[in-house]
Amino acid sequence: MVLQNTLSLLRQLTRRPQSLIGMVIVGVFILLAVFGSEIAPYRFDELIRGAARTPPSELYLFGTDTLGRDVFSRVLWGARDIIVLPTITTVLSVIFGTAIGLLIGYYGGVLDDVISRIMDSLLAIPALILALVMLGTIGPSPVGIIIVIVLLYTPIVARVVRSAALNVRSTGYIEAAKLRGESTLYILFREILPGVLPALIVEAALRFSYAIFLTASLGFLGLGVQPPSPDWGRMVNEARNSYAQTPWALWFPSAAIALLIIGVNLLSDGLRRIFRYEGGLG
Amino acid sequence: MASLFTPRRIVMVGALLMLAVVVGGSGVLAQEGGVLRVGMTAPTVLDPAQHSNDPETALNRAIYDYLVEVLPDATIGANLATAWTISDDGLTYTFTLRDDVTFHDGSAFSSADVVYTFNRLKEVESPAISLTGDFEVSAPDATTVVFTLPAVNADFLYGVAARQALIIKDGETEPNVLGEGDMTFAHFNGTGPFILTQFDPGARAVLTANANYWGGAPALAGLEFVYIDDTVAQVDALLSGEVDYIFKVPIAQTDRIEAADGVSVLQTATSQHPVIRLRTDEGFAGADVRVRQAFKYATDREQLNELLLQGRGTVGNNDPIAPVFSFFFDETVENQTYDPARACELLEEAGIGTYEGTLYAPDAFEYADLAAVLQQQWAAACINVDIQVVPEGVYYDFSNPNNYFEVELGITGWGDRPSPQILLRQAYIEAGIETGFNESRFVDPELEALVVQASQTTNDEERAAIYAQVSQIFLERGPIIIPYFAPLFGGVSDNVQGLTMPPFPGLTDFRTVSISG
Repeated sequence: MVLQNTLSLLRQLTRRPQSLIGMVIVGVFILLAVFGSEIAPYRFDELIRGAARTPPSELYLFGTDTLGRDVFSRVLWGARDIIVLPTITTVLSVIFGTAIGLLIGYYGGVLDDVISRIMDSLLAIPALILALVMLGTIGPSPVGIIIVIVLLYTPIVARVVRSAALNVRSTGYIEAAKLRGESTLYILFREILPGVLPALIVEAALRFSYAIFLTASLGFLGLGVQPPSPDWGRMVNEARNSYAQTPWALWFPSAAIALLIIGVNLLSDGLRRIFRYEGGLG
Repeated sequence: MASLFTPRRIVMVGALLMLAVVVGGSGVLAQEGGVLRVGMTAPTVLDPAQHSNDPETALNRAIYDYLVEVLPDATIGANLATAWTISDDGLTYTFTLRDDVTFHDGSAFSSADVVYTFNRLKEVESPAISLTGDFEVSAPDATTVVFTLPAVNADFLYGVAARQALIIKDGETEPNVLGEGDMTFAHFNGTGPFILTQFDPGARAVLTANANYWGGAPALAGLEFVYIDDTVAQVDALLSGEVDYIFKVPIAQTDRIEAADGVSVLQTATSQHPVIRLRTDEGFAGADVRVRQAFKYATDREQLNELLLQGRGTVGNNDPIAPVFSFFFDETVENQTYDPARACELLEEAGIGTYEGTLYAPDAFEYADLAAVLQQQWAAACINVDIQVVPEGVYYDFSNPNNYFEVELGITGWGDRPSPQILLRQAYIEAGIETGFNESRFVDPELEALVVQASQTTNDEERAAIYAQVSQIFLERGPIIIPYFAPLFGGVSDNVQGLTMPPFPGLTDFRTVSISG
């Protein structure tokens, strides 16, 4: 059932060229995340003696940086962090956000008021600034990034799910389920959740692209994964100062970030069209 | 759209453009009276007694004078004092003052201003006090000032010339506080070569030459400090002719200046350096001398200089006595060469086998890259470290449990000091633990005695001999690695003459600088 649905979804996506391109891009990056470290000719932290600041060549496809590390290998190795971290944060935010959104959407009342106001106040603070303050306090680490982004994105997902849940709460089939004497959990997950699923999938795709961007931004600001790990955002920042000497060290990680985000956005746009869902928060 | 490009309109637009060029051009011409525009980051602390960084010093130095000053070659030169004598016991310093000096407000300068200034430094606990040590100051007459010290301090003159020891007017309680209306700059009342006429915090400061300056009016008609926080943008400003002089240029940006016409790169050797240090107190790996030595054998300082400073730094000994301190530097000291096998042996003897730990570094200068290269070098020498690069503000913040002072293994940046004694006294004696400078908790009775001895030795040769012994102690059991002493880079327009960039560029002497069209 699930497999069939997924397959039909993929088939629908391939019909639209933009979505197909998005799928291919995201697919390639996922493959890189899995196999990138195997394909890479060098380790990400290997200093190649006497090869600092070499322009792109057959030997070093993307050139080397100021310390003599192969940029091509670093971009390949870096694909894992930039995919894995946002995936984890997206999955966690979606799980927590859905649970909270369903609960407050279904029960409403005081519970809804209290939790919604708390989430509103979290949403009112600019995401990047909040992330900076929190990571500055707890210290930069992958776990820190996950905690911060999940904390930032859970309210957004919860809000989307809540409004979708509000719409289906008063429909006939929910009333029918209640009359049948179904348990609350059953109603939440078997009756309401399928109704909000389209909104949720689109929202998850959107969150994923924002999470990539935020992870890269934090890396750029020096609050991401620690060096010498090849965080694309950090690579861009490191290469920025030496742009005059090693422009290629800036081009390739920047292009990789841009391409990945474009791919994810094309894909989420395709999903949105399929589900005719128009919601979503910045 | 089509109507936009009718011949008449094109002529009109062309005329307007030409007008703009003429007007703009005349603006440029108006500046050719000799205003030097200097690009730098924005100053925050303006109080002469409390400021610390280059832009803050640059503003203060333009407005005020010192009693004596540190010259670019790290020697002491006359300023408001024409001469000074030191008593035979080294405890009394007598300065003779100039009698032809006036403040910007027209009042005459006298010994009372000097006494007030130095007492205020003590009162507000200025950083200068760490250099002067304790003293009493008095003024027997209008042109004489006498300092009495409780103990000999061979570096006392460097204290009198400390960046914060700018001479302010007797009774001035709010120096460099902006006022209202006509009084806007009343509290910026110095004897210095330039007078502040405009100050937009975070944007710019405009100064005009002081025609009544005791040393003769400066060659420049004025100075304009343009505050640009991003170093890359500073280089852009220099290349586009928006500013004439910038300093603290990142090494990777020097190529851009070299490649451009009409501007040149400045390079000055300094004693600025990163310190890689191990804690030596009980319970930390560095308590065992063999571990300290292992880290030194595990570090290839030549390669670090090559990769991080493109070979333009100076590799010294693993001690704070830099080659720029000329005869105080002992080049005969044979330092540990890169020998990973020897490092492994030492760690084995120390019972550690393979060192596992975390190397902390601030996200400043090239230190993140330095950490990455060290990790690689050490990996071949039985030392495995994770790297934690932390924003500078967090790294030096005591509320962070892993701050620079607490961690076992860390990198810290040390700015230029005019004398090695200052560094030794701050960071490598027991008293430095309390002040937060002796991060490695290195306490060595023999070193302690030598530092005291050096501080009481005014003869340079004798002092050099003491420092040679100091180098030997660091060689044998010091807890620090100093991979290199970094040069300072700057950029200057070729129109500028007579400019020397000192190791602390905030002290650039603008009095003799001139600028041609």
